[in-house]
Amino acid sequence: MFKRTSLPYAFLVPTVSILLVLSLVPTIYAVVIALQDRELSQAGYSFIGFQNFIDLFSDRRFLNAVMVSVKWEVVTVLATMCVAISLGVALFEYTSTRLRNFYCLLFLVPVLLPRVSAAFVWKFAFHPLYGIATYPLRVITGMPVELLSNPHTALYVVAFVDVWQWGLLFAVIIVKLLETLPPQPLEAAKLDNAKGWQVHLYVALPMLRAPIISLMFVKMIESLRSFDLIYVMTRGGPGIATETLDMYAFAQGFIESGKVSYASSMAVLMMVATVVVFTLLWKRAQ
Amino acid sequence: MTKTIRLVSSFALACLLSSSVASIAVAAAPVCAAPIKVLAQPRDGLTLLENYQDEFKALSGTTFQIDYLNENDRRAKSRADASTVGNFNVYYVDEANVALFADSNWIVPLMDYYPAEYDFSDFDPGRQKVATVNGKVWFAPLTGGGDLMVYRTDILAEAGVEPPTTVDELMTAVAKLNNPEKGIYGIALRGARGSGANVWRWMPYFKGFGGEWFVDGKPAFNSEAAVKATQTYLDLFKYSAPGTQTGSWDESTGAFLSGQVALLIESTPLSGMAVDPSYSTVVDKIGFMPPPTPLTGGGYGHGLAIAAKANADDTSKACAGLFIAWATSKEQEQRRLEEKQFGELNRASVMSSELFNDIYGPVLGKALADTGKVTAVNFWQDPRWPDLGDRWGIILEELINGTRTDIKDGLDELEAYANDLLKK
Repeated sequence: MFKRTSLPYAFLVPTVSILLVLSLVPTIYAVVIALQDRELSQAGYSFIGFQNFIDLFSDRRFLNAVMVSVKWEVVTVLATMCVAISLGVALFEYTSTRLRNFYCLLFLVPVLLPRVSAAFVWKFAFHPLYGIATYPLRVITGMPVELLSNPHTALYVVAFVDVWQWGLLFAVIIVKLLETLPPQPLEAAKLDNAKGWQVHLYVALPMLRAPIISLMFVKMIESLRSFDLIYVMTRGGPGIATETLDMYAFAQGFIESGKVSYASSMAVLMMVATVVVFTLLWKRAQ
Repeated sequence: MTKTIRLVSSFALACLLSSSVASIAVAAAPVCAAPIKVLAQPRDGLTLLENYQDEFKALSGTTFQIDYLNENDRRAKSRADASTVGNFNVYYVDEANVALFADSNWIVPLMDYYPAEYDFSDFDPGRQKVATVNGKVWFAPLTGGGDLMVYRTDILAEAGVEPPTTVDELMTAVAKLNNPEKGIYGIALRGARGSGANVWRWMPYFKGFGGEWFVDGKPAFNSEAAVKATQTYLDLFKYSAPGTQTGSWDESTGAFLSGQVALLIESTPLSGMAVDPSYSTVVDKIGFMPPPTPLTGGGYGHGLAIAAKANADDTSKACAGLFIAWATSKEQEQRRLEEKQFGELNRASVMSSELFNDIYGPVLGKALADTGKVTAVNFWQDPRWPDLGDRWGIILEELINGTRTDIKDGLDELEAYANDLLKK
């Protein structure tokens, strides 16, 4: 009896302890710092309560960063899922097994590229004078096309690179998921004269609801960590058009002001908002 | 007798050997216990320096490792490193952050550990001035200078435009020279945010039009001069090469060196690059002049400083000081000159040498001498400058790309920010 009840604890206690130390210590430290007025260039500091949090709501760059972050999250997650499902279904429906495997291999390449390398490659590809991606538009219009310098297009161009990496990977996963489905329901739908897109929309994809929702959550978490991609491609510019919350926090903490407490308050707010939103969405999805 | 001779000769040989070893030991006099870690931004001179690792090892008894980051990242990482863990023995600092580093005690006064035989006084006096804060020298220059107007003689001649000598002439010339259909743009400016990026190129207009950052400790930049400077900068940006709206030095000089820009006003290293075929496609079509009046040249200097935290004891500091002295020595500058690394030259003895004159000719020499007369310190020499300058950089970038249009509103926002900074 003793052995049966203590064994789970023997496995759980060390791992949970390590997890607690690794996650709780920095979290608590971040919360404590957020309640202070620490700056990198000053040795002294004091506790100022919630002043940093209050200041955030009158900071136009913070409010802009919230909006940009939300827009980035919505655009990249939706676009990635749309591209993944469309490409996945197309591959499943219209290619031979041999060709499909070849495409799957090809689609894995973008995500294998280090994020920073991908960002540099695409940044140059979108150069208004030399870029290969802007070449067709230059030929048509006869003028250089400044997509990354334009505040209306910059975020979408960076989002395109994000989708290029993750949408193609997810397409491979969707194809492999479709291959695991039992053929009978799909064949039954076809016997009932359902068209190809109807078979997938009303039969196949609903059968994959759980894994697709999981993929969506993975992408949502991944999109929150796109600092490197945006930083290399636009540095938050033009102006503050692509400045996300993590980027603004980094700028305040290390690039511009050295206000680590102010930056920490943003990180704490972001953590709280993420936990709340993700919990609500997860419960709703279930 | 033979035995005695053998004994004496053996003793003499032993003495000779031991004295030789002792003299080698004295000559090498290794002062360093551990390899030196340097945080820098890419410079041709430093890349060249890495070829001489063995020379430094023979001199000091250790090696060095240089980590490179671009300017903004180098500033961010060095600030974070200096204020926390202190992993680097030597920091690459510049005119914009040397006051912050010195004031925060993140670096130590250089001359306390700079070997006298390396002759610091040989550095260009302007660069020595930039390296000096509160009466103490904090870094040894790796690069520096002021501004020059560099122009394409062929494009100006074809358009019948004389090199502009005033800002009004500059505006007219740039508009006339701009010809995007032929792939030629009137000018190349810096649009990217940053006290060392767009703000750096904007400041000569601000100071030239009579602007001041602070008067009697109060913000004075929210002025007619600032509005006029900003409006002029925005007007010129209509003719700036594509990619420069969010670009900095690399983008603007890259557009010029690839033959797509008629003229630009940039930091002096560009002039050396413009006549070097390994960088430039327009080597034989280049003219130099001081910036049009009333623009002030942006005096600047970058160099190597001794980190405080990573060099906890005097031996480590002396080791870092030796490295800096060796890395910026006359011998190293001579090697850079032989490699035609114009932007890496800082010593009067090298810049006045016959070899310098043979390579770059008298025209560039005269332009450099002329621009020296209008070179000034345009920024606010204060530890809080990077903070204030970067904040203006964001607002200026917004104005350049059109996400905000009211210049006065931008200056009001900056003034409120400056007042908050002063309260601390």
